[in-house]
Amino acid sequence: MAFNATHYNNLTPAKQLDKATLNKMVFRSLNLQASFNYERMQAGGWLYCILPGLEKIHADNKEDLEISMQHNLEFFNTHPFLVTFVMGIVLSLEQQKADIGTIRAVRVAAMGPLGGIGDAIFWFTLVPITAGITSNMAINGSLAGPILFLLIFNIVQFLCRFFLMYWSYNLGTKAIELLTANAKEFTRAASMLGVFVVGALTSNYGGTTINLVIENGDSPINIQSILDGVLPKLIPLTITLVLFALMKKKGWTPVMCIGLLLVVGILGGFIGIF
Amino acid sequence: MGFSAIQIILVFIFVFIVAIDQFDFLESLYQPIVTGAVIGAILGDLPTGLVVGGTYQLMTIGNMPVGGAQPPNAVVGGVMAAVFAISSGLDTTAAVGLAVPFAIIGQYMVTLLFTAMSPMMSVADKMAEKGDTKGIVRLNYLAMAILGLLFAVVCTAGLLGGAAMGEKLTALSEQYAWFMNGLSAAGGMMRFVGFAVLLRIMLSNDFWGIYFAGFALATIIGYIPELSGSALLLIAFVGIAMALYDFQTRCAMKSAGAGASVNGGDEDGI
Repeated sequence: MAFNATHYNNLTPAKQLDKATLNKMVFRSLNLQASFNYERMQAGGWLYCILPGLEKIHADNKEDLEISMQHNLEFFNTHPFLVTFVMGIVLSLEQQKADIGTIRAVRVAAMGPLGGIGDAIFWFTLVPITAGITSNMAINGSLAGPILFLLIFNIVQFLCRFFLMYWSYNLGTKAIELLTANAKEFTRAASMLGVFVVGALTSNYGGTTINLVIENGDSPINIQSILDGVLPKLIPLTITLVLFALMKKKGWTPVMCIGLLLVVGILGGFIGIF
Repeated sequence: MGFSAIQIILVFIFVFIVAIDQFDFLESLYQPIVTGAVIGAILGDLPTGLVVGGTYQLMTIGNMPVGGAQPPNAVVGGVMAAVFAISSGLDTTAAVGLAVPFAIIGQYMVTLLFTAMSPMMSVADKMAEKGDTKGIVRLNYLAMAILGLLFAVVCTAGLLGGAAMGEKLTALSEQYAWFMNGLSAAGGMMRFVGFAVLLRIMLSNDFWGIYFAGFALATIIGYIPELSGSALLLIAFVGIAMALYDFQTRCAMKSAGAGASVNGGDEDGI
């Protein structure tokens, strides 16, 4: 099983990835969200994006490729336009055959913050400004509106994608030499950051609330606000910990957990608590 | 107003592409300002298409698909608004109103697909175990094709069925509202499975405090509306400070231990 493997069989660093492969992965990064789903979000697309690199890096050892593919299918979500930053750094670690724990920790630690940065750059700045200007051109009947919008948006997008891929790949390759001397300490610190980020995501991505109000004359009792009084985001935290316990202690698989949540969700929808 | 077979086919193909584009590809072709113009060109009334597209675009600026939330679908909405404005000669506001039921159906389809793709991840796991790289690629393209087809069918049905189809869809969506509510609640909870898997792997016993610290900080920042955009970045600053401190301390301990007596070095087992 993937989560038992801690390092690759072949620990000899692979050759540097060539430009053609890096460029291919930049273009694949456009389809990061191809198999987006509620459980692991972009995980399937993430693996698809970095596969050309993984195939090159683990070309001499099929088992290593399998291990790498398995741990790169874990939960992943970042900003689609900035993903090449995470790709570059993870690929440089894969190439140097770093500990799997290290690769995972770096991946988790890097993906979270980029979401906020990307939203700020693209959805809150670039799109409102360009769309605001070009929409008025379109309303005035000018075909230049949509064309200009597409041009500006895509130039910025592709500059970001290419620059981040090369920059972070080189950065990772340079940094790794410093880190191998203290590999154990680095893995520990990176895992710490990773766990911290997962804790933050539990709250930040956890939107589950209960929409249940008990009739009580003039002052109806709203269950969610009582729960918020105890601890905000209590429900996301509880669900995560229950699922964690089910997997760890009872050996549940992710699919069984999804099934449970589907039943809870649809039953809850039927009684009207969501 | 009738449409020629070629127009219907072109709309079908165009919607297929932009439906995929809303999450993948260029992630900009799907914006109403573009779809309005293209639908206008296909249906032979570019000026109306431009106006509707521009108007709808301005409406959606404050309503972006940020952080995984699903507002009524702008792809279906933009396409159908342009279709109705051109085919029924309605003004933009009325056309947008008629498009809303379709946009809600579009939103439902996204929810359904994202839910249905969750169990597919264990199929992907099996492929990874066997090192089946082609399978992973196929799975991703298949998911994109399904998304494109779903949307193309809805919009083509709207093109042919017109506003009457919209009323039917509204009735349908009201009837099954409880089911879709439940499904999106389940969908919203599924990410906790992803988190639990990561925790099972990463969470050694001495990191429990760190997990709760991350949760606490995110919850506190979550209550400050001004920080909604930068929350995870701020959290990362704190996390990095903590991890860096731990890294430096342990490296210092190690080098001190290496220089000191024989017993000193090996006690910081993880």
